[in-house]
Amino acid sequence: MKLEIDESRCKGCNLCTLVCPYKIYRPGSRPNRKGIYVPEMDRPERCPNCRLQELYGRRLCGMCALICPDQAIKWVPEKPYEPMKVVIEY
Amino acid sequence: MQGNIACAEGALAAGCNFFGGYPITPSTEVAEHMASRMPKITGSCFIQMEDEIASMAAIIGAAWTGARSMTATSGPGFSLMMENIGYAVMTETPCVLVNIQRGGPSTGQPTMGAQGDMMQVRFGSHGDYSIIALCPSSVQECFDLTAKAFNLADRFRTPVFLMADEVIGHMREKLEIPDSVEIIRPKTLPEGTLPFTAGPDGVPGFAPFGIGRFTHVTGLTHDERGYPDTTNPACHESLVKRLVNKIENARHEIADYTIVNENARYVFVCYGAPVRTVKEVVDRMKIPDTGYLQLKTVWPFPEELLLRFPNVQAFIVPEMNLGMISREVERHVSVRVIPVGRIGGELHPPEELIQAVKIAGGDV
Amino acid sequence: MRNEWLRSDRLPHIYCAGCGNGTIMNCVLEAITQTGWDRTRTVFLSGIGCSSRAPGYIMTDSLHTTHGRAIAFATGVKMADPSLHVVVFTGDGDLAAIGGNHFIHGCRRNIDITVVCMNNHIYGMTGGQGSPTTPLGKTSTTTPYGAEEAPFDLVELAIAAGANYVARWTSYHVKQLTDAVYDGLLTPGFSLIEVRCQCPTSYGRRNKYREPTDYMTYLKTNAILKRKWEEMERSGENISPDSFPVGEFVRRSRPVMGVPDEA
Repeated sequence: MKLEIDESRCKGCNLCTLVCPYKIYRPGSRPNRKGIYVPEMDRPERCPNCRLQELYGRRLCGMCALICPDQAIKWVPEKPYEPMKVVIEY
Repeated sequence: MQGNIACAEGALAAGCNFFGGYPITPSTEVAEHMASRMPKITGSCFIQMEDEIASMAAIIGAAWTGARSMTATSGPGFSLMMENIGYAVMTETPCVLVNIQRGGPSTGQPTMGAQGDMMQVRFGSHGDYSIIALCPSSVQECFDLTAKAFNLADRFRTPVFLMADEVIGHMREKLEIPDSVEIIRPKTLPEGTLPFTAGPDGVPGFAPFGIGRFTHVTGLTHDERGYPDTTNPACHESLVKRLVNKIENARHEIADYTIVNENARYVFVCYGAPVRTVKEVVDRMKIPDTGYLQLKTVWPFPEELLLRFPNVQAFIVPEMNLGMISREVERHVSVRVIPVGRIGGELHPPEELIQAVKIAGGDV
Repeated sequence: MRNEWLRSDRLPHIYCAGCGNGTIMNCVLEAITQTGWDRTRTVFLSGIGCSSRAPGYIMTDSLHTTHGRAIAFATGVKMADPSLHVVVFTGDGDLAAIGGNHFIHGCRRNIDITVVCMNNHIYGMTGGQGSPTTPLGKTSTTTPYGAEEAPFDLVELAIAAGANYVARWTSYHVKQLTDAVYDGLLTPGFSLIEVRCQCPTSYGRRNKYREPTDYMTYLKTNAILKRKWEEMERSGENISPDSFPVGEFVRRSRPVMGVPDEA
């Protein structure tokens, strides 16, 4: 799972920066095309839902997505992690 | 049977299964009768609301679940309902309102008849719109027209008003209840059609709640999807013109009337309780050269009927108000129009109408 | 999933940046997905105001009615077809001012609907006028020198009028709010969930909560759990006038209306 902020919906209120217990979000530094400072993500792989949702089979935490007034935060499925095939060259 | 009870029976015969009401003289008997009858009919609901605003709201809500809903009230309650009547027009909600008119303004004469709400029913809520209003002049017509009102409401998706008055509402007469009455339900919304896309007659199909069409209903100016679009002049214009035209263009279809003595020179245009005096004068006393046009449908005003009297020299309009429909008649004809307004709660005596005929004939 | 309940083609919605209404909408939809209700058999209603625009973004049948009358309309819908699930979104002005009478009568009848009141202490859509829940001393465009009228306590009002389920949370307490809405939806009879929420544009701007996060911090610090609140009251502890109790206040089974027959 991967966290994603939908830039077409985000209005830059920064509520996600307040509620995330892992401080994954921080206020944006650059305005986007609509002039909105969309929050940036700091090492989103720390999000427990990203890592553990499939293991537990249910939504974990989810504060950011619940509080986001603009329905802009969601998780998108990622391909399961495949250990990189290592090719050894002789 | 009493006129009010006949209204209630007419509604039940037409399959009315939701009544939201609030007691008000002189319409209370309608609610009382519904309260005793409806709980014994499966799938029917009578509820006494906290005020007339809520009554009107409740019947609109019920109508959107597909129920045939109705309320009954009188002047002061009718004024309270105005806001939600506009809402019903804008959202094209089929419902029936019975207004047993009493003397106004304000609390006025609760136990006396009047026809003072005829303009309010047409123009009372804000904005441009059109409605259908029927006027019974006897207990039998109370029954027949109430049943018919439901069909018109469903056919045109609009609130339909039964504008009776205290005289008719509290009158006791013989009533013949037919074995069955005609029932016309609204067109269904075809699959794949947006909820407010209308056909050539301007009436969209009806998709009530709970059938999975996800209809969004709003009193805001909305597009065909039902979504608000409040700042686009074209959207507002096309919506409101459609709401008005779907009724105004169908005035021939809606018109319900009786014409007696087409060749008369002095023609009474009458509706509601004064019809009774007119019948006395024309049919029984046979005052020479008189005829009448009884309007059972007052709104939309069927003005083409006024052209059906080739020899007419004057239209005489007896009303229990100071002249409302007489103005509407004046708008459409070039001959003399004599309003005979009478307020206070009593019917015109025949002499008053005979006097008006004399005035029309230049005898006075 | 919550997303299936949204009319995605209408998003982003009209709410200002940081408005609490969107959060509350999320929580209600989350609670509804937990109930497993059929979308085709659920109806959302609302009156007029910011809060009342919410049903327009939800993919169900919805009725956006006249100002204050949503509960009266809901009574009609529910009584005419008790098998429908009925949820009403309303605001503080909509519910407590113009719709006050319908509100208490809805509670008295104990009709089986769930009312979610987005209480932002202000008339947001018309630009920030004082409402019946504007706290004493707070400024709005119609109370420029501070509100002088005592506000309504919607929770006490609903309890006194007879509602079966009454809770209060804030737009900060999203998890608790979701649970409360879930309980409200499943409790037969009238359920009121009052949600204190931020209006950064109209209320916050004039009352020193300029950023949405400022008001969130206020909600976080001043919302006191009901049990703790009662303890504080008992021990005579000094309670800040800004504070308010949150939690579930009533869950009971008075006679109800509009519940489908068990047949």
